[in-house]
Amino acid sequence: MIEILFIITVIVSIYMAWNIGANDAANSMATSYGSGALTLKQIIVIAGILEFCGAFFFGSRVTHTIGKGIVPINLLDPHIIAIGALSAIFSAGLWITIATYYHLPVSTSHSIVGSMLGFGLAAVSENLLKFEQIRWGILSKIALSWIISPVAGAVMAFVIFSIIRFFILSNMDIDRAEKIFRYLQVITACYVAFAHGSNDVANAVGPVSATFGFTEAPSWILALGGLGIAIGIATWGYRVIETVGKKITELTPTRGFSAEFSTATTVLAASYFGMPVSTTHTLVGSVLGVGFAGGLASVDLSVVKRIIYSWILTIPIAAGLTISIYTVLVVLL
Amino acid sequence: MRFIRSVTDVFGYSPFKAIHKHSEYCEIAADLLVDQFEAFVNGDKNKIFELEQEIDDLEHEADKIKQEIRTHVTKSLRLPVDRHDLLSFLSYQDQIINYIEHVCHMLTYRGAKDVDKEIERKFRKLLHKINEIICKYEELIDHVAKLIATSFSKKEITEVLVHVNEVEIVEHECDIVQIELHKLLLNSEMDPFDVILLRDIVIQLGEVANSTARAADSFRTMILGR
Repeated sequence: MIEILFIITVIVSIYMAWNIGANDAANSMATSYGSGALTLKQIIVIAGILEFCGAFFFGSRVTHTIGKGIVPINLLDPHIIAIGALSAIFSAGLWITIATYYHLPVSTSHSIVGSMLGFGLAAVSENLLKFEQIRWGILSKIALSWIISPVAGAVMAFVIFSIIRFFILSNMDIDRAEKIFRYLQVITACYVAFAHGSNDVANAVGPVSATFGFTEAPSWILALGGLGIAIGIATWGYRVIETVGKKITELTPTRGFSAEFSTATTVLAASYFGMPVSTTHTLVGSVLGVGFAGGLASVDLSVVKRIIYSWILTIPIAAGLTISIYTVLVVLL
Repeated sequence: MRFIRSVTDVFGYSPFKAIHKHSEYCEIAADLLVDQFEAFVNGDKNKIFELEQEIDDLEHEADKIKQEIRTHVTKSLRLPVDRHDLLSFLSYQDQIINYIEHVCHMLTYRGAKDVDKEIERKFRKLLHKINEIICKYEELIDHVAKLIATSFSKKEITEVLVHVNEVEIVEHECDIVQIELHKLLLNSEMDPFDVILLRDIVIQLGEVANSTARAADSFRTMILGR
């Protein structure tokens, strides 16, 4: 029975990884397409390879946080973990699909954290865990990282673009400056893809890693997640890149560089600390930073409100969905 | 397109292209006004009404652009210039085409019979100056894209200030021609009704030049007040 649950969990995880590649990875890469730094084919190849590398070589810490950091799985038996992991990944995947359909700016990171919390609460309701045994300390750190990461992206992008503005845009011919940054942006695009892979792979494979309990999760699950993301980019993400890229031509190479560099650095730092942050929200923060530094014709601050609403919505919905699915599975199995 | 999550919401409405388009309408309208005046002098009624309609349409289109900008530039937008500065600048720019529209209607009020040749010549000169000031103004507005691209670099701002100056110089030249025209009109032997009409037109043309200078001035305030 556990084997079947495990296989289904892996399949849903691959779907989640695909979704992350198709949407979030694509968004992060679209800036490079919008500014004309890279062609669509180049982006798909670069993003595919670097997302995979980020996931495989640097994805274990966040995966550990998602899989084992929120619910104290060492206190649960493998059967319950298998049900919980499947419920969590299934509800996160479902919510992301629904939210994407309605164009809500939700984050896969927020969804999976909410789902894992739901798993924990379901275990509490069955008296398998005590309420205090859920790792609230780590959860509050995660919540804090969700506030810090967009702000950090914004501040960094503000500073970087201001430096570019004072030292380069005021002294150099604008077309020449943009041309140079077009090449630099190829590097930052790789950087973003790597950072994104390292952080977001956990949203897909975190629950799978939980099923391994005490033992360290094998690296093949990271590889599987990385592969899923790469396939997501190649099979659906390219459309997203095209659509988004065409709308953000305002983000010229100097602006794209500032936003991408800040996003990637913030997200990679979060991966280092094992914090599952939203790359998309960090990117939004970074773009706002460039806007505040006077780099864009117009940025819309109402997006911040929408992001906060989706935040508040995502946690209870993902948790509630997980509890419902968990309850059904426990009754059935 | 369904099943897309995207970051595009963060990019707000940018009014700058629309502002440029609006200023182009001002320029086209000013051009048409010259043709309409020629038709007026030649007594070509059909052409006068035809051009009145064209200018009226342009004013209407420009008005739509103005409305679009005013409804989209909301508080939640963060623009590289002050929002209030931008909107007051826009209302000055809108005055340019409004006054041109006034003149295009006035030219249909009655046909002037024997316009004094000297007055006719001076009128052409005034219209030419009006065209010149709007052309200079247009050059100024052409800088918007580059101002944004360079994120308001000192070099670009300096160039813009030169253009503002040029607009102000031509505005002064318009004033001189206007004064000459007033003198000629009030001392001419023409039909008094024609004199009244032409004098009103001169005053309105003066307002076109004034509005252009005011728009240029508020453009300067806008980019320096960042």
